[in-house]
Amino acid sequence: MTARDAAVRIKGVSHQFGAAGDTQYVRALADTSLDIARGELLCLIGPSGCGKSTLLNVIGGLMTPSSGSVEVAAKPVRGPMPHDIAFVFQEHALFPWNTVIENVRLGMLFQGVPKSEHAARAKKSLEAVGLTEFANHYPSQLSGGMRQRAALARALSLETDILLMDEPFAALDEQTRMILGEDLSVLLARTEKTIVFVTHSLGEAVFLADRVAVFSARPGTIKKIMRVDEPHPRRPDFVTSEKFTALRNELYALLHDEIRKTVSESARSED
Amino acid sequence: MSAAEQFLLRHPGVVRLGVIVAILIVWEIAARWFIDPLFIAPPSRVIASLGAVWQTNGVPAALRLTLFELAVAFAIAVAIGLTVGLAVGLQPFARRSLAPIILLLYGLPQITILPLFILYFGIGAASKIAFGVTHGMFPIMLAIIAGVQNLKPVLLTSARSMGASRWHILRYVIFPHMIPSFFAGMRLGMTGVLLGVLLAELYVSTAGIGHFTTMFTENFDPTKLFGLIAMLAAMAIVLNEIVRRAEIHFSRWR
Repeated sequence: MTARDAAVRIKGVSHQFGAAGDTQYVRALADTSLDIARGELLCLIGPSGCGKSTLLNVIGGLMTPSSGSVEVAAKPVRGPMPHDIAFVFQEHALFPWNTVIENVRLGMLFQGVPKSEHAARAKKSLEAVGLTEFANHYPSQLSGGMRQRAALARALSLETDILLMDEPFAALDEQTRMILGEDLSVLLARTEKTIVFVTHSLGEAVFLADRVAVFSARPGTIKKIMRVDEPHPRRPDFVTSEKFTALRNELYALLHDEIRKTVSESARSED
Repeated sequence: MSAAEQFLLRHPGVVRLGVIVAILIVWEIAARWFIDPLFIAPPSRVIASLGAVWQTNGVPAALRLTLFELAVAFAIAVAIGLTVGLAVGLQPFARRSLAPIILLLYGLPQITILPLFILYFGIGAASKIAFGVTHGMFPIMLAIIAGVQNLKPVLLTSARSMGASRWHILRYVIFPHMIPSFFAGMRLGMTGVLLGVLLAELYVSTAGIGHFTTMFTENFDPTKLFGLIAMLAAMAIVLNEIVRRAEIHFSRWR
């Protein structure tokens, strides 16, 4: 992949929390390099604490890595880049005192979108996630799935090329996740955004991703990259195909040892 | 359950009114037939005396003065409470180092240093305002410190990721987040200001409601005393209600 094709270039990124010798010292991420292509959906998957969320925050400029660097759109990342990157967080990242549409407008205000464009863009992004009727509801009046749709609408209205999603469906029930996953795939096929998606769910990773980056146990680094050759939008029956099952099993095999390592390590540190 | 019980369960206001009326009736009976009229006046006569109280030379001016002292003290208490509360609450280090001091000062029975206030600020309105301020500002500070503290970090992170400036974060994230605790603090602060101002007035004054309370008590005129207290209570209820209405208006999202 040449520099021009890459939406995001991650170059030798390592990160540790605290200083060596501290009780709080944790090596979260070790020497990770990866190019993310324009328009692809990359899933990061790995055991708890493997640094996949850390990597996402580093890409988004919310965290400065201990060493290494990230380039987005051929510019080095030194802080949040609201014109290039939008985030969708786990849950509760909507402002509870604002209605859905106010939340969307506030994102645009922060990013610096001219006021005259707010109404049209808000309408468009709420339509894209199917929340038009709930524009004037407060987050507390919505279900978990609808809240995440609203968060997605807020991110879409920013019209960035890159979307970073940090376990956006983790707090939702299985069925809601499935529907949101399908809708995201449809949306992705339409918008051609570059998406980095952190998840714990094997099925979600296979269903959504063009490539799945599998992380090793802490200190995390990319152990293997698995390709999923299946065009977007993915059809619901992809889940029941043999291809899906085979890929899911492959992913499970890759992850299983790492998860074991993490579990036995945390058991040891509890002694 | 009978129909009457069901009706009452659905209308707590009716029960509330009933309790108030019952208390007034007991009070009326006790004051008319059982207790020395030097000590207590029946509510009917208190209400009838309101006009006379109002016409007592100096009472309207005293009410105006007390209301003025309350308003000024409250405004100052809110300004100080908000500023200090934000400054201390938003900085984890400042919060850990300074919040215990504020807690300690709030716990101090300030009445013991009231004479100092008179000494520093004189026997006029200034000492009442100052005493009202010191009673009102601490609960406001503490409410704001506590309110700012439980702001979810993800809201700040997400605002930052969308390019929010410091001002944006203050205006659109921190302020709306602390509105409920700010109002809770304001209501506590209002009670504190009322207490501080009236204590100072009772202690020493030449004007204001406190002055007349002392006068009516010393003249064994409980009817007028109760009338004045009723006016004062009405004032306190109105002030509290204003804050409460504003609170409801700003907390629609909850």
